[in-house]
Amino acid sequence: MVLDIDLVGTISTYLGLPPELVRAVLAPLIYPGLGVFTVIVLFLIWAERKIAAKVQLRVGPYYVSKRLHGALQMLADGIRVAFQEVIIPLEAEKPAYILAPILSFAALTVAFAVVPGGPGIYGFSSSMSLLIVYAAISVSPILIILMGWSSSNKFSYIGAGRETLVTIAGEVTLLASLLSVAMMYKSLDILEIVEIQRQTDIIGLVANPLAALLFFIAALLLTDRIPFDLVLGEQEIVQGPFTEYTGVLYALTLALDYGKLYVLMLLFTSLFLGGWAPFDSVILGVVAVLAKTILLLLLAVFLRSVYARMRIDQVASVFWGRLFPLALLSFIISALVAPLYG
Amino acid sequence: MENRSEKEIPSRKRPNLVKAHLDAITIGLKTLLTRKPMTMMYPEVSEEWPEGYRGVIIYFYDKCIGCSLCSQICPPRAIKMYKVPGDKRLRPGYDIGRCIFCGLCVEICPVDALAESKVSDKVFDKLEQMVFDPIDWTFFTKDLQKEQETRRNKVRVIIDEEVGLRYESTVTK
Ligand code: SF4
Ligand code: SF4
Repeated sequence: MVLDIDLVGTISTYLGLPPELVRAVLAPLIYPGLGVFTVIVLFLIWAERKIAAKVQLRVGPYYVSKRLHGALQMLADGIRVAFQEVIIPLEAEKPAYILAPILSFAALTVAFAVVPGGPGIYGFSSSMSLLIVYAAISVSPILIILMGWSSSNKFSYIGAGRETLVTIAGEVTLLASLLSVAMMYKSLDILEIVEIQRQTDIIGLVANPLAALLFFIAALLLTDRIPFDLVLGEQEIVQGPFTEYTGVLYALTLALDYGKLYVLMLLFTSLFLGGWAPFDSVILGVVAVLAKTILLLLLAVFLRSVYARMRIDQVASVFWGRLFPLALLSFIISALVAPLYG
Repeated sequence: MENRSEKEIPSRKRPNLVKAHLDAITIGLKTLLTRKPMTMMYPEVSEEWPEGYRGVIIYFYDKCIGCSLCSQICPPRAIKMYKVPGDKRLRPGYDIGRCIFCGLCVEICPVDALAESKVSDKVFDKLEQMVFDPIDWTFFTKDLQKEQETRRNKVRVIIDEEVGLRYESTVTK
């Protein structure tokens, strides 16, 4: 291929470092990690506000950079937040209060190292990479509960309590969907899963649409997207466990949810949409993965403008009463379609 | 439980869940792609107020005879009489922060030294700036009149059955 470039090889020979090390640093820091994530999250928050505004016949962000329809608004907000004073409440448990957002975001970067962002673009490969991503994502609820507890604020307590409920309901569904994926492909390695889909030309969304749907809904719940934004609950508990946070720490808590969403949608692309499916070359593959992921992210934020919020008991009954039986059904579908993938 | 409530409300059909979700999403997408925003871009464009709109009170020093009727009728005591150096009579001063725009002062003034402007969106940095003594009030009146003349892009709101709200420029007339 003409478009093929071997960035990792070039850098490793230039610096005289082993390629594995270069890979493990580049992936979480640049792509699919923090660098690209920052750009995507700035775009995504703008898109979320703009889409919600358009559906509600408003204008949305506009005055910062009128020509770009206010696209630089989020950059301006980000700069403001970065230079804002970090206020720590007197009653807060100081070490936990400061460390919890930092640690939870750090745990998320582990997931960036494992999720592939294109052919041959990943931090490290492992036969268990699916489980590693899941583990990295499921660390954050514990730290979010810690944030709520350490803030010493009523809203934070309530938010942390809701986080517990939401996590249990959401992660059961997510795990069920991941398990049926693993059953279907008979593999826990994301790279191998993508390869299997590319070889058989059947993407996971076609083979087991139910698992894909469950994965998507669970991702919405785990990242506090609108129909299930119980933890943030702006209408009644201000910002949930993050109420007391200001400045950079607030930016981290905000980025945490978007980061989880980004990782989960990258994972969705790999598991159900065939990753970089139609392409072989690095650049086109990366473009394909990014395009699919951004489309999914846009869909996830678009739902905000369509749905009303659900009550906490409704969420619990939907997830345990309807989606959990569906998850069992998706196991059966997986068992039926498994022979497709040999 | 479910059986009993279904018996009590027999006419209510349960919605088809899948269809309802799909409907919601299609309507959202349709609105997103086809509709235009109804927002009036306010500071650049502003609404033309109807005849008789009661805004900030303006004051003409030369017409005033210093009868202090306005300060007596003003319900929230937004108008107070001040001593002006070099003037034998007391003159009214004005506190925008207190005014409730009732227009009583305009009506009682025997010589039409007070009038209602059509501006109600003045912004001040400090509380003290909202209190005018008679001289300040006169200058403020001049500024306000100038601003009223130069303010362009006045629009009229039209309620349209298809689009919702529309705005029609009134400047060309
Ligand atoms: S409009 Fe009413 S409240 Fe305002 S100054 Fe006149 S009398 Fe007082
Ligand atoms: S009522 Fe009119 S004339 Fe009398 S003091 Fe007030 S502004 Fe002057």
